[in-house]
Amino acid sequence: MTSNPVADRAQSAPATASMPAITLESVAHQYEAERTTVRALAAVDLSVAPGEFVSIVGPSGCGKTTLLRAVAGLLEPASGRVEVFGSPPRTARRNGALGLVTQEPGLMPWRSVEANVRLAIDLAGSDGSATSWLERVGIDRYAGLYPRELSGGMKQRVALARALAVDPRLLLMDEPFGALDELSREAMRLELLALWERERISVLFVTHSIREALLLSDRVVVMSGSPGRILEEVAVDLSRPRTDALLTEPAFVESERHIRDLLRTSA
Amino acid sequence: MQRTGQLETPAPAAPEVVAVRPSARAAARVRGWLAVTVPPVVALVVLVIGWEFWVREREIAEYLVPKPSAVFEALRDDPGRYVTAARESLTAAMGGLIIASVGAFALAVLMAHSRLLERALYPPALLVKLTPIVAVYPLFAIWFGFGVGPKIAIAALITFFPMLVNALIGLRAVDPAALDFMRALDASRWRVLWSLRMPSSLPYVFAALRISVPLSLIGAVVAEFLSGSSGMGQLILIANGDFDTPALFGAIVVLATLGVALTGIVAYIERRVLFWHDSMTGP
Ligand SMILES: Nc1ncnc2c1ncn2[C@@H]1O[C@H](COP(=O)(O)OP(=O)(O)OP(=O)(O)O)[C@@H](O)[C@H]1O
Ligand SMILES: [Mg+2]
Repeated sequence: MTSNPVADRAQSAPATASMPAITLESVAHQYEAERTTVRALAAVDLSVAPGEFVSIVGPSGCGKTTLLRAVAGLLEPASGRVEVFGSPPRTARRNGALGLVTQEPGLMPWRSVEANVRLAIDLAGSDGSATSWLERVGIDRYAGLYPRELSGGMKQRVALARALAVDPRLLLMDEPFGALDELSREAMRLELLALWERERISVLFVTHSIREALLLSDRVVVMSGSPGRILEEVAVDLSRPRTDALLTEPAFVESERHIRDLLRTSA
Repeated sequence: MQRTGQLETPAPAAPEVVAVRPSARAAARVRGWLAVTVPPVVALVVLVIGWEFWVREREIAEYLVPKPSAVFEALRDDPGRYVTAARESLTAAMGGLIIASVGAFALAVLMAHSRLLERALYPPALLVKLTPIVAVYPLFAIWFGFGVGPKIAIAALITFFPMLVNALIGLRAVDPAALDFMRALDASRWRVLWSLRMPSSLPYVFAALRISVPLSLIGAVVAEFLSGSSGMGQLILIANGDFDTPALFGAIVVLATLGVALTGIVAYIERRVLFWHDSMTGP
């Protein structure tokens, strides 16, 4: 009897293969201050399959960062359930499964660019050299510089290299390309897609650019604010690899217009 | 995992590097140094010369205002006396400073990790700070005898609070994004303390040192005034009793020099350690 390769794989990677990378069930959160309460999230349900690339778009202040932090277990939501690969986020963190790119780069200013990436490798216990990751994001020439000597875009590249060096199964990215120029943005997009296709990781990607979301994702989650909730999940049925040629294709233009309308009417 | 597929990522535009001859850079540095040191030195020399002429011209009594030359003679005639006294005061000041700084930093670490500890210990610490230190000297004399002990205790007491407050603020003033990043990798408290909180606190620690270094000297000299047993404080008391105003001025000059030298040393170390901080400009 010949063994079934699919079944074999399923056995060697128990449960996790079919288990969603992210499960959010009626997640709500509010920030309590002395006098005010800000309702940041109201009953958000979301599921991200393993290997799926999901983007979140939404107006500023609609709770995207809050949502991402809840997934990473950095914030305990007031109510609702958060699971990452079928267990609480803490467990995923402990297994080194989370890569995080925060909205601000969050580099250690006393460490050189290379030492910043090395810290990540160190903490995650992953292998690979800091220099090779810097090469991939195109800043290996600046390995010896310190964060205060870098431009905003260069810092974001370091933050990206640092998150990738962790060798994560789930990558959480909060506007990682915000400070980059148009060409670098495109290059980093390709780099990210190549990595995603190669490693079959799951990605949750926050962006303000509808085009960027459409070019990257399997699904675009459109949010609206006060309190933050999901308006609609837009499936992106565009073939890969996606190039700039898509930008003028009817399906793309239609999705782009649809999302823009959603955002406009909710505002 | 396989890491292949080098991508063609356009690198950020390389900053234009202009070749500068090392000698030119060194010359520029010397010029910059001279620019900050020459004016105050000239001002000081002019002041001293003017003072000398003023005292000579007006024939002002030496016990009121001595001539700078008389002060210089006092220092030259018996340098050993000043060196011994200065060494004693300095030992007490530095002993107190080191003990207080290490202790205050350790306490700040505990307080940074526990709001309960902070709430419990901060008010007593504030109480100690607000108590006039001269009032506790007799107690210290009873506990620590009449040697260097109570002097160290006074210097420690006066420098403890600035370090505690600054270190606590510094340990808490971490970049939230950097903290998120470390926590997402499940870094332990100790790892966060070592790799993030401690380095973040260094600018605040040095700010505290700049305050507490001169304070430690004050503490030591005040203790010597009160005990009258040794050091610069005792030297001043004796000179005062003898109406030996040149010696009095000599003591002031020695103490001022000590203060300036210690502050300079702290500033030098600070520049070396905090090269990465935004407050540091230039080479
Ligand atoms: N620590 C906090 N304390 C109080 N309110 C907060 C805090 N963090 C966020 N908020 C509020 O919660 C809401 C959602 O914030 P969040 O940062 O998640 O928005 P966002 O979608 O990431 O916005 P942006 O696109 O500008 O980054 C906002 O109204 C914000 O004012
Ligand atoms: Mg945000």
